[in-house]
Amino acid sequence: MESVISVYISRELVSEPQSITLENDTPLLESRILDSLSLLKLVLFLEKQFGIVVGGQELVPENFATINAICRFVNSKKATEKERE
Amino acid sequence: VNRNVLLHWKSDGGSSATFRPSSRLQAAVRRALLSIDNHTYRTVVVPMVAFLPAPLAYGVALVRSDLRYRLMRSSRRKIIYSFGLLFGDRLSQRECDRVARDNFRSMSCETIDAMRLLGSGKALLGLVEVRGLEHLRAALAGGKGAVLCSAHFGSPKSCFSIIGALGFPITIVARWRYHEKRRKRLLIKLHYRLRNDYPVNSHLHRPNIERHPGTWGSAVEAAMVLRRNELVGIMIDAEVRPGDPSKPMTFDFLNGKAMLVPGATEIAQLTGAPVMVMLLRRLADWRHQVLEISPPIHVEGDPVVAFKQCLALVEAAIQRYPAQWRPLPVSRGGVGGPLEVYGFERSDL
Repeated sequence: MESVISVYISRELVSEPQSITLENDTPLLESRILDSLSLLKLVLFLEKQFGIVVGGQELVPENFATINAICRFVNSKKATEKERE
Repeated sequence: VNRNVLLHWKSDGGSSATFRPSSRLQAAVRRALLSIDNHTYRTVVVPMVAFLPAPLAYGVALVRSDLRYRLMRSSRRKIIYSFGLLFGDRLSQRECDRVARDNFRSMSCETIDAMRLLGSGKALLGLVEVRGLEHLRAALAGGKGAVLCSAHFGSPKSCFSIIGALGFPITIVARWRYHEKRRKRLLIKLHYRLRNDYPVNSHLHRPNIERHPGTWGSAVEAAMVLRRNELVGIMIDAEVRPGDPSKPMTFDFLNGKAMLVPGATEIAQLTGAPVMVMLLRRLADWRHQVLEISPPIHVEGDPVVAFKQCLALVEAAIQRYPAQWRPLPVSRGGVGGPLEVYGFERSDL
């Protein structure tokens, strides 16, 4: 999951990928890799790729701060949605 | 730059480098009087006259604005000069004067508009002819919401609230001035709340989506509103402030370049929502207005191209009714302050 998200961010959301080393703990918001619109693109990608639905109350920095945080968030969403099923 | 305007500006008492009044005392007295007028008009006069018959209510606004036009020499010169820059030689000196006076009038009338939205908003709705609602209904029938692009034109504070008062669920991407740090004083905050929250915000479906340094989820919030098949209103000529988390782009606009964020069309493209341009313009009698909603703009390809189409519609309206555009906040200090917002360099001045 980390690599899928990392590749998407590098390819689709970073304008100059060669100038940024994207690690799993790179701060995405503080370093301005993600802005408002690229975050929307990322959320839509996560929803499509992992079959989750992101709610408004889940749009907190902790869930999108790093690739690791995004993976934790996606995994918890998937677990919650499986429990519901 | 329109030479006539430049000559007029210089001959009207201002130096070519700064707008310096003849004495500090005079300036201080004038500022105090204008401040008293501003607060009295907005908190006492407008609530008293707004619900009188429209010719009377707007008549008071016109008298007041003409008085301010005479008193606010520095702002008047700034506006005349700014319009000269924005429109080049298209406006003669006399036209620039008229446009500047009408700009003052438009601002005074806007305060009456906002107050007439109080309650059901019928006091204002009765004066507004709405064109193109069928586009809005068709868009919502598609189930993906719609993005309404507007500009600081005509009565910008009221335009989205009119759509709300007509029964459409609309949320706007905007930051009210009283939320800013410099408006933290309790009385001023209360004053702004009474003027904005009750009449204007009460017709908006959800709290504003605010875009400012420190926030990063505004586009996602807007997308979530669209998902609920509701409307999102965005001012596409909004200024980009330092530290704004969005990535602005440079666009040709009027006689220069403008730094703007094409977020409206990008959000629409990502969510599949249609985009329409909506402009509220005032008619010659100053009390009646026309709210015009365009057919959907094609956003399938490059969202920047679609944004340029939206901007072209706004630009056409500004070219036709220049006095109704509001890029020139008179309270902002410094020559060219508002113009820099629209990408003019100081060297242009």
